[in-house]
Amino acid sequence: MLDSLLSLLPQILFEGLLLGFVYAMIALGYTMVYGVLELINFAHSEIFMIGAVAGVEIFRSLSNIIHNGYLLLLVAIVVGGLVSGLVAIAMERFAYRPLRRRGTTNRLVPLITAVGVSFVLQDLVRLIEALWHNEFFLRMASVSDLEGSVTVLGIFIQYKSIVVIVVSLAMLAGLNLLVNKTRLGTAIRTVAQDMDTARLMGINPDRVVSSTFFIGGSLGGVAGVLFALQYTTISPYSGFLPGIKAFTAAVLGGIGNIPGAMVGGLVLGELETLAGTYLPTLTNGTIGTEYKDIIAFLVLILLLLFRPQGLLGQIVKEKV
Amino acid sequence: MSGYAVEVKNLTKRFGGLIAVNEVSMSVKPGEIFSVIGPNGAGKTTFFNLLTGINKPDSGNLLLDGRDVVGLAPEQVAARGVGRTFQNIRLFGAMTVLENVLVGRYVHIRTPYPSALARTPGCRREEKKAAERSLELLDYMGIASRAGELARNLSYGEQRRLEIARALALDPRLLLLDEPAAGMNPQETEELKKLIRALRTDMDLTVVLIEHDMSMVMSISDRIVVLQFGSVIAEGLPAEIRANTKVIEAYLGSGAAAGGGAASSDPATTESRAAAGNGATGEHHA
Repeated sequence: MLDSLLSLLPQILFEGLLLGFVYAMIALGYTMVYGVLELINFAHSEIFMIGAVAGVEIFRSLSNIIHNGYLLLLVAIVVGGLVSGLVAIAMERFAYRPLRRRGTTNRLVPLITAVGVSFVLQDLVRLIEALWHNEFFLRMASVSDLEGSVTVLGIFIQYKSIVVIVVSLAMLAGLNLLVNKTRLGTAIRTVAQDMDTARLMGINPDRVVSSTFFIGGSLGGVAGVLFALQYTTISPYSGFLPGIKAFTAAVLGGIGNIPGAMVGGLVLGELETLAGTYLPTLTNGTIGTEYKDIIAFLVLILLLLFRPQGLLGQIVKEKV
Repeated sequence: MSGYAVEVKNLTKRFGGLIAVNEVSMSVKPGEIFSVIGPNGAGKTTFFNLLTGINKPDSGNLLLDGRDVVGLAPEQVAARGVGRTFQNIRLFGAMTVLENVLVGRYVHIRTPYPSALARTPGCRREEKKAAERSLELLDYMGIASRAGELARNLSYGEQRRLEIARALALDPRLLLLDEPAAGMNPQETEELKKLIRALRTDMDLTVVLIEHDMSMVMSISDRIVVLQFGSVIAEGLPAEIRANTKVIEAYLGSGAAAGGGAASSDPATTESRAAAGNGATGEHHA
């Protein structure tokens, strides 16, 4: 039995990697906003969902016009990223900024707002989809040239999985460059460290916050498109579980810490996939695959008990 | 461009029932080195916070070369050329020395963010210029060799220099220094004095400073204003301030001026003693 379990391992690690990259990209949105505003933006899971829905809609409406699957996916990624980014900016502008303006110091207030925004966005998407298509459970249209697959070293790899990994890596690398090498990135880091001093250096914090929401939102939106591509069924409520797990990943890596969010996402993706596959076998079916969600949170609870600052919280103190 | 003429008219700021700054008026001439002194809690730092837009005054005006800056946000005041350092150093510790100074240059880069992301040639040129200017400033402050170091790894004295370099990156016409000599030994204070004088001429600045080291205040200032409980109790040349009985009372209590001798009631002496705890000794005054 052990042999058969081990022979599965490369495949499982690969699946975990896919899931991990999606978590990492969503987690970055949580961690960046937290870094700048110390706000847990729970509505970020809906930003992710909106990206996924936008991706599905692009596939639905353009698959008869654009026949190249990769080109279609590129359009979906760009549109999904933009739509999510813009919704994130609007959310900040109309829900969070007015609270900041009033000088609300109670951290619970924006948190409750975030939960409220989350419900509003869910039901808004549900309303739009219901009016548009008369249903709100959506299926990603399958495009034949993305459905092919290869087997490398015994791992069954779909082409679209390769796309997921390539796009995620490119986005993560791009984000690193943006944050560490550009003027905007430097401005974001200054606001994250000390907003008052940043202002005295002539940096407009509202613009920096908007940009942060846009960047985090776009990453979440692209993650949504990739998620829809990989897991195909999407509804207005699809954001919740990946969102809360990505938040877990952000805390796992050390909230406010960009490399931490990436590491946390990958670790959580692997843990969840490994647990989902091996636990049923190892426990003779007592613990089924459906317990994999619980495993993710169990790990979080244990980690917080022994290392509350997260995996990278101590090593890299720098926020964002 | 020369330093700003600063005109403060009837400036008042209340925090709840406390009047932190009360009907304060003063005028600073372009290119002056002007000191604000007073006992702890006199409202000096609040005054700086009003000048930089961190706090909004309840009433009164603040004019830089005749233009009112009341109501402007801190980033707008900074963009008009007001640079500032802090009593307790507030650098971006997790960023490099060079990045700290670059941040101050950003107000002078006009390219919009999209073209900055696309790395257009125009934007690259601007960023290169900003980096060159930042290195010049670090060199001027004598810490160019530390450019790649994280700011939090610098020594205390170097951090103070970096804060000034960062403020200078704004191309300020008014430089506000909040206790620049705090924690410095007499020799470092002496160097700082030379530096501030050089800055004024090299960078065409008006300098306003808050300082507790009286020997430094007396020797470097063109003019001095004294605050107590938020109000101006004296304004004048260093010699006038030194001889002012109200000032002596403010520092030593009302009995001192009447009964005490001139030597013991000299604010310079007391302040030096008080500051000795921070290592800021210095009885250099003549």
